[in-house]
Amino acid sequence: MDYKVQVGVQSHLEMGPLDDRTMEDLDDECLFPSEMDAQKTQSVDPNQHISVPGSLPFNGNKMTRNGVYKSIKTVVFSNKLNLLMPFGPLAILVHKMTDSSGWVFFLSLLGITPLAERLGYATEQLAFFTGPTVGGLLNATFGNATELIISIYALKSGMKRVVQLSLLGSILSNMLLVLGCAFFCGGLVYHGKEQVFSKATAVVNSGLLLMAVMGLLFPAVLHYTHTERIVGKSELALSRFSSCVMLLAYAAYLVFQLKSQTDLYVPLGEEVNQNGENLDNNDDDEDEAPEISKWESIIWLAIMTAWISILSDYLVDTIEGASDAWDVPIAFISVILLPIIGNAAEHASAIMFAMKDKLDISLGVAIGSSTQISMFGIPFCVVIGWMMGQEMDLNFQLFETATLFITVIVVAFFLQEGTSNYFKGLMLILCYLIVAASFFVHEDPPTDDQSKQPGT
Amino acid sequence: MDYKLQVGVQSHLEQMGSLEDRSMQDLHDECLHSPETDARKNQTTYSNEPLPFSDGRLPAGCNNMIGHGVYRSIKTVVFSNKLNLLMPFGPLAILVHKLTAHNGWVFSLSLLGITPLAERLGYATEQLAFYTGPTIGGLLNATFGNATELIISIYALKSGMTRVVQLSLLGSILSNMLLVLGCAFFCGGLVYHRKEQVFNKATAIVNSGLLLMAVMGLLFPAVLHYTHTERQYGKSELSLSRFSSCVMLVAYAAYLVFQLKGQNDLYAPINEENLDDDDDDDDDDDDDDDEAPEISKWESGIWLVILTAWISILSDYLVDTIQGASEAWDVSIAFISVILLPIIGNAAEHASAIMFAMKDKLDISLGVAIGSSTQISMFGIPFCVVIGWIMGQEMDLNFQLFETATLFITVIVVAFFLQEGTSNYFKGLMLILAYLIVAASFFAHEDPTSANEKKQP
Repeated sequence: MDYKVQVGVQSHLEMGPLDDRTMEDLDDECLFPSEMDAQKTQSVDPNQHISVPGSLPFNGNKMTRNGVYKSIKTVVFSNKLNLLMPFGPLAILVHKMTDSSGWVFFLSLLGITPLAERLGYATEQLAFFTGPTVGGLLNATFGNATELIISIYALKSGMKRVVQLSLLGSILSNMLLVLGCAFFCGGLVYHGKEQVFSKATAVVNSGLLLMAVMGLLFPAVLHYTHTERIVGKSELALSRFSSCVMLLAYAAYLVFQLKSQTDLYVPLGEEVNQNGENLDNNDDDEDEAPEISKWESIIWLAIMTAWISILSDYLVDTIEGASDAWDVPIAFISVILLPIIGNAAEHASAIMFAMKDKLDISLGVAIGSSTQISMFGIPFCVVIGWMMGQEMDLNFQLFETATLFITVIVVAFFLQEGTSNYFKGLMLILCYLIVAASFFVHEDPPTDDQSKQPGT
Repeated sequence: MDYKLQVGVQSHLEQMGSLEDRSMQDLHDECLHSPETDARKNQTTYSNEPLPFSDGRLPAGCNNMIGHGVYRSIKTVVFSNKLNLLMPFGPLAILVHKLTAHNGWVFSLSLLGITPLAERLGYATEQLAFYTGPTIGGLLNATFGNATELIISIYALKSGMTRVVQLSLLGSILSNMLLVLGCAFFCGGLVYHRKEQVFNKATAIVNSGLLLMAVMGLLFPAVLHYTHTERQYGKSELSLSRFSSCVMLVAYAAYLVFQLKGQNDLYAPINEENLDDDDDDDDDDDDDDDEAPEISKWESGIWLVILTAWISILSDYLVDTIQGASEAWDVSIAFISVILLPIIGNAAEHASAIMFAMKDKLDISLGVAIGSSTQISMFGIPFCVVIGWIMGQEMDLNFQLFETATLFITVIVVAFFLQEGTSNYFKGLMLILAYLIVAASFFAHEDPTSANEKKQP
């Protein structure tokens, strides 16, 4: 996909290195050195499509194995982050052998991190084959697939509070920590000038975030002021209705984004042809060569999702044990620890792009992810809970709702100028410290774990 | 200091507007400081004669000269400002306190007595800043700019009146953001009613961002307490407050670094530009100054100490009698702390902000008003929490829900008004009316906790 489309589509994407050209730079710098080799290998054989682009060569048990091997090499071994992969199976081992919830939780968390990153990679690779529209949709939906998978498992176990807190934490960490680090590091590298980013995108995202806050605020205030018509049922019904409205808004946002991309797409197409380095593929939709074939992408997508599901299961089961073992409240683990470690790859890529003065992509990673979780992830979980018969609602309790509210206002304010410097980044990071400290001393009153009761 | 540097440094200064010496000359000529112009003219005729204390050494054989120098110093500092007519009220307050038990009178007299002292303290700080170079000068102003409020707060903390501390600091922020700024916009807008006055948007936005961060720091302890969701009742918010205060102080320090670094880049090229505009006589040999400071370095330091001591004494009386005054006048302590104390304490600042706005120097007015608010919220309040921590007082950032909500909505309103970068009389009027609403709310507001005791669950 050409650069402009990527940047536009980015605004609701979770992964950073989606732009292949910049991914080349990224590759050169740290994370993906072997992928460059894979790419070069591919470009040397322009006529030979590697392994399984939808048709198996007939003389190919050997070819298949070769293809599978290369596929595994590309996907699994090329990323240094994947060193954390063994922690996944290790977590399962530890769980079977000992009862130490704290360790199992920690190991599954570490094990999920590389899988989350690879899932994003596979999604993006698949997006190459499906054209910009469906690709954008794919990224928009699967961008935060990890958080959603964890949330669905938590819902299944009836731990709706963990769902609410982890989604909230993901939003907060993206808006404050990731964005703050990106601004800070970028500002330090470019301290002579102020970095600029696209104000329009930032403002639209801020608007969506404010709308999400509105959707969350009403059930919470309704409950807190004891002014619902039918205690317990009103806010659930309100939450479900608001979730549908928010999903509608998100769909409209996607349409709006992709439509304006299509208008940009044609005239820029010629421009990119001159810059595209690897125009080996016959596929008209791509300017850059994807690294694995379509079927491989889908298969890897399925494999990653399955693995993440397994580890999420362990994660959710052991979260309470870990909270007791480490003597920190579940709120702190869900809101602060889980998102920070889960989003590590995203975090790193946002910082890297900021240091290369590509602040729009960093913003897309950070704020786009927040928007996606707040306008898609949370309502989606409410709807899933509705289908499962779980009473997941949008009442995040007053403290969390107030936190989200003040954070969105602070961030919206910081973004509206369209410039960034290290001081703004530092302020965002310090704000995150204050938020984290608040959750460290925050504990849900015990009655809130059960179905909502008036008077709390 | 050159104009641009001043303006930049201003943004975190509480200081009297009269930091810019050139405009201070205008200011002098216009109303408050006319005898100072005479003093300056006297000084220029003595240009060949080293003034006592100006080099830090005494000319030999000079009891006469010292006496003369002290006299001139007193004349410059004490008698040159019409506001200093209020100075006798200070000793009068002490007299009344010893003679009668009438708290109401002692309170209002000490308040009136503190006002000129606060203004002179700012003057002495600014004079000292001339001698220390822009960086330290900026730091001096940033720290001592609101020294009066801090001194009053420390005395209140010592007496265990944490609620008074919270309320008076809050009131200072509110009055600076709404009343002082509103009056400045309003009067400036009336004078220049045909055009819109502009100010530096970037500085205003940075300050608004800091104010929002301060609101964030205040919001969490309050909401934590109010929703009864703290882990350890009573202790959690205290530790959270102390942690947040340290974070806010770090942010303020980073802000100062950021400001002063940005000034250094501006400082060199603008220096030439300013020398052409300089109308005044540059008698001093000091390289740091484009303008002559009016009293020497040692004098500034000594006056600083004297004024601080006086303010401390009067603050002691002020704090002791606040409750009595509240009963005598039948208004709540909240109203006195939030509305009356800051208005009267900040009177000089208020006047100078208005004057600068009327001269179309809105950036300085903004520096006085919003800079002061930023300084109190990001430095003053956390500093008091830390001082309370050291003293063993349980001062925290939980300002109770009503006050926190007031601060929140005020910061949002003001941030919104400032983001455009222009001003007119209508904006000023809106800010003033907003302040009226706030004042009325506090008139009708009573603390559920009494001010003298510690917070009770």
